[in-house]
Amino acid sequence: MTAPTRHPSEALILDLARGALERGRALVLRAHLAVCPGCRATLGLAEAVGGAMLDAAEPAPMAPDALASVLARLGEPPPPPPAAAPHPPGDWIRVPADVLAAAEGGRRQAAPGVWVAHVTGEGGRSGPRSYLLGVGPGIAVPLHTHRGGEFVCVVKGAYKDRGHIYRPGDFVENDESVEHQPRVTRDGECVCLIAADNLLVPRSIQARLLQPIVGI
Amino acid sequence: MHAIAFDHGGHQGGWTPIRPVPPMSDAQRFAELIGRVAGADRTAFADLFGHFAPRVKSYLLRLGAAPALAEELAQETLLAVWRKAAGFDPAKAAASTWIFTIARNLRIDAARRERRGDVADDPSDAPEAEPAPDARLAAAQSEGRIRHALTALPPEQAEVVRLSFFSDKPHSEIAEQLGLPLGTVKSRLRLAMGRLRESLGDLA
Repeated sequence: MTAPTRHPSEALILDLARGALERGRALVLRAHLAVCPGCRATLGLAEAVGGAMLDAAEPAPMAPDALASVLARLGEPPPPPPAAAPHPPGDWIRVPADVLAAAEGGRRQAAPGVWVAHVTGEGGRSGPRSYLLGVGPGIAVPLHTHRGGEFVCVVKGAYKDRGHIYRPGDFVENDESVEHQPRVTRDGECVCLIAADNLLVPRSIQARLLQPIVGI
Repeated sequence: MHAIAFDHGGHQGGWTPIRPVPPMSDAQRFAELIGRVAGADRTAFADLFGHFAPRVKSYLLRLGAAPALAEELAQETLLAVWRKAAGFDPAKAAASTWIFTIARNLRIDAARRERRGDVADDPSDAPEAEPAPDARLAAAQSEGRIRHALTALPPEQAEVVRLSFFSDKPHSEIAEQLGLPLGTVKSRLRLAMGRLRESLGDLA
């Protein structure tokens, strides 16, 4: 795979480092970071700034028995390690384990050639959510816009949107000003990991009909 | 570099070293302590606890955590240091950076639990399960440089960096708090990151 060419802003990477991103958004950013050494280096720098800030923080007194009570717990068995992550399909970029688990367990057919697997937010009536969206070759996602923003990372394949082609690992941030109808290239299925602040805002009858079924 | 000062006291008018050159930097000392903790050295753990637990607590309080939660998470952070010490790689990150990421992840997990009202996630989740950074910018030697570079930032850049890390608010709220346009806050952050990166240039 060639290196991604579309990257998150430094401000977003800083948000990830300081722990200020909503969970689904953080997953999308981490999917990009897993294949982008340059952005990982930026994250390393931002975390080092966090470390320096921590080191420079004015110490706050701990409870008098704090050390004793932690020392008493050192022998406790550690929490069980997380379950081994399922193996990603061979043609996917490396995605966080939570995402793979969702992809394995919860794929739902949304339309011919289109599937959705919810990762966070479970596709409720409102609020932030993240999901994998698989769309077959040559198919266009019905025209829509967004309430709030949206992060996208291409996991497999490619799609075309307003004159650009997005390929595996590319990261895109769309805001409310974007009204679009992304179309998958003819080469094969495209899978994207998407985090949105809210349900899409359909701009076509087709999209309006599908929405209650798929919860995106 | 020698730290020296004129001694007005008992010595016969001379320059006296008041502090010997430290045998190792803080970052090296903490890395060494974590290495000993990995070998189940409780004395080394107590040293680390003494330095980092009050700082983690302070960081969490600044982020708005209630005092009881800040205390609990500071203790949990150091407990995680004990458990994960064998996985600490001083070539990859300074001790303070590593501990910062542990505290941050525990804070995120606690907030998530509070929202969902459910059981503990494994605190060792995603962030540290990621592949090691290829560009090891944050090595222990660079820690002092980052700290120095932070103090050398123009005050308006240092302010937005500080406010970012001592809050989990979106930048739009930080901008509001400062009475600045969002674009100005973002460009100051970008400039600050650029300067910090430059200061580490020959280590990258």
